[in-house]
Amino acid sequence: MIDAAARELFERGIGHAFDQPTSEAVDAALGELGWHDALAADQRAAVSALFRRQGEVSATSSALDWLLASSLGADGAVVLPALGRWDPPGEVYGPRLRVNGLSRQSIGDRVVVVASARDKDIAFDVPAADLLLRPVHGVDPQLELLEITGETVDVDGQPLIGWEAALALGQLAVGHELVGASRAMLELARAHALERVQFGRPIATFQAIRHRLADSLVAIEAAEAVLDAAWLDRSPQTAAMAKAMSGRSARIAARHCQQVLAGIGFTTEHALHRYVRRVLVLDLLLGSSKALTRKLGSEVVASRQLPPLLPL
Amino acid sequence: MELDEFRTSLDAWLDEQEGALAPDHDGLGTLDEQMAQLTKVKRLTFDAGWMRWGWPVRVGGLGGTTLPRAYLGEALTSRDLVEPGIYSMAEVLAPTMIDFAAPELAATMVPRLLRGDETWCQGFSEPGTGSNLASLSCRAVRSHGGWRVTGQKVWTSLAQYSERCVLLTRTGSVESAHRGITALFVDMDSPGITVRPIESMHGVEEFCEVFFDDVAVPFDRTLGEEGQGWSVAMDLLPYERSTSLWHRAAYLHRRLQQLLDAAPPDTLDAAEVGQTTQLLYAFRARSRSTQHRLARGEDLGPETSIDKVLLATIEQAVFDLVGDGLASDLAIGDGTTSERWRTEFLYSRAATIYGGSAEIQRNIIARRLLDLGSDR
Repeated sequence: MIDAAARELFERGIGHAFDQPTSEAVDAALGELGWHDALAADQRAAVSALFRRQGEVSATSSALDWLLASSLGADGAVVLPALGRWDPPGEVYGPRLRVNGLSRQSIGDRVVVVASARDKDIAFDVPAADLLLRPVHGVDPQLELLEITGETVDVDGQPLIGWEAALALGQLAVGHELVGASRAMLELARAHALERVQFGRPIATFQAIRHRLADSLVAIEAAEAVLDAAWLDRSPQTAAMAKAMSGRSARIAARHCQQVLAGIGFTTEHALHRYVRRVLVLDLLLGSSKALTRKLGSEVVASRQLPPLLPL
Repeated sequence: MELDEFRTSLDAWLDEQEGALAPDHDGLGTLDEQMAQLTKVKRLTFDAGWMRWGWPVRVGGLGGTTLPRAYLGEALTSRDLVEPGIYSMAEVLAPTMIDFAAPELAATMVPRLLRGDETWCQGFSEPGTGSNLASLSCRAVRSHGGWRVTGQKVWTSLAQYSERCVLLTRTGSVESAHRGITALFVDMDSPGITVRPIESMHGVEEFCEVFFDDVAVPFDRTLGEEGQGWSVAMDLLPYERSTSLWHRAAYLHRRLQQLLDAAPPDTLDAAEVGQTTQLLYAFRARSRSTQHRLARGEDLGPETSIDKVLLATIEQAVFDLVGDGLASDLAIGDGTTSERWRTEFLYSRAATIYGGSAEIQRNIIARRLLDLGSDR
């Protein structure tokens, strides 16, 4: 664990890194800051500070890819699951490996593709040239996602342990990013509500406005509480709940804050639209709120068993 | 005592005393039966010491952090030994007595509440004063030797069982709003007090009207100073929205588990079960950090309104699922088990009304946590 003073310095460094104009420059600044060392020293502090800030300023970086690679002990870029999914992005058919995944970083000559085969996971080292790499425009071009699809044959695979743990870590990271984005949207809407005057009063005096903002805060705090709990118990099930709650709270905040910001929030002249776009995609990344929630509910109904109680 | 040690030894004791602690009635029981059960459980846990941990030595406690109080309530609730609402009244009223009563009065009275020798009630709401607490009008005037109280309270839980009442009175002018309020600690057997229980929709006479007709209250029963009643109320409300909610969540967890065991196949929607499960987990995570803040001696304030909004939402979500999974039991079942589900389902409809309505909690969040300024 790093101490409070070191953490403050580190968080300030993260803040400066995200002041850089491009994602390459952000990556370089995070490298200089020693984020990888921080990750080894205090995983929770390193992940929560970086991703919360990344969400707050609506930036992007290679940090999610690095996190999965570091968790899996992989040498090189690890392909993320396809949007909306959380299972490994590779599928094995005889000698062939089919790939359907994503990356948040620009990748080099080779990528690591994890595939599920029967009762184990396998990591394949795949030449990038064998795959189709499509820079994603989509609803949020500034997220700079790369879609990675295609098929390859006769590649070397190594048995791999730890997909579940790497996925859980990734879900917590994206969860923090969603909470950061939600808090930023709430602050934008709050500032607007205090300034915007209608009927001779700031709209912040109207209960309909106040309650939307209050509901946004309640949703955000609930998500943050599950993120905290997931860092304590380190259970994959709790991490999935944290991801689901973070996605849900971001959608709630986006809906309420956009309504409070009204016309101006629907224009590209105001910053809100960047967050609205961002959370639409981040909710889907590593499992959407809806899908993860339904999966949990199906398991609970089938097993008639609630998740273990978080101890006092 | 450390929490882990407390937890292990309490669990062992509860196993060992299972027979002595078990209720004499089946199902939820009548309110009379629940009160008798509460008294029994409090006495046994107080005499064995468990109930005394986490309370100051000067009021008969054994000291230490407040965490054992949270765990004791959770354990008793999870084992269905007490009804959580009536059990948690002590968590609401005793801290206020400790903070505001004269030391000798607190030292005499608090152990009686903790041991179950007495029941206390909270006289806040009035017919014209629900969410707008600062407009209360039950009047106390100074006279020779003490206060004379005249007025009416309503929604006073358990007043018909109570020996004492923490009462908010108007001592300033009507226009003085929150500045002219004084809190008193009133003996419920004082001449001039009339209690009339109100039967509520769920079939329980838990709430009461209480009438005060020129009731004498000695000056040494003033909690805090004259005119400081608003501070007493503001001190009390975060307690109402912290440990008691931790206990209530333990109860909701048990009932949701029992619903999963009892619901016929294909009656529960997976997405809704998933969401309720997540919200319940989120509440417990949130409430856990509130409990640890309390244990570190931090003052709880408006952020407990978030706990309250979450808990009320979850209570209704859990019983909405009961409405799906056990629909006909709720509608036409007349056995003990059905009656219990129905009573609790109906009571859950009030979760967004009592203890500060859902709207008031959101007003507090907007004003105090989001700093949105006055709503006028």
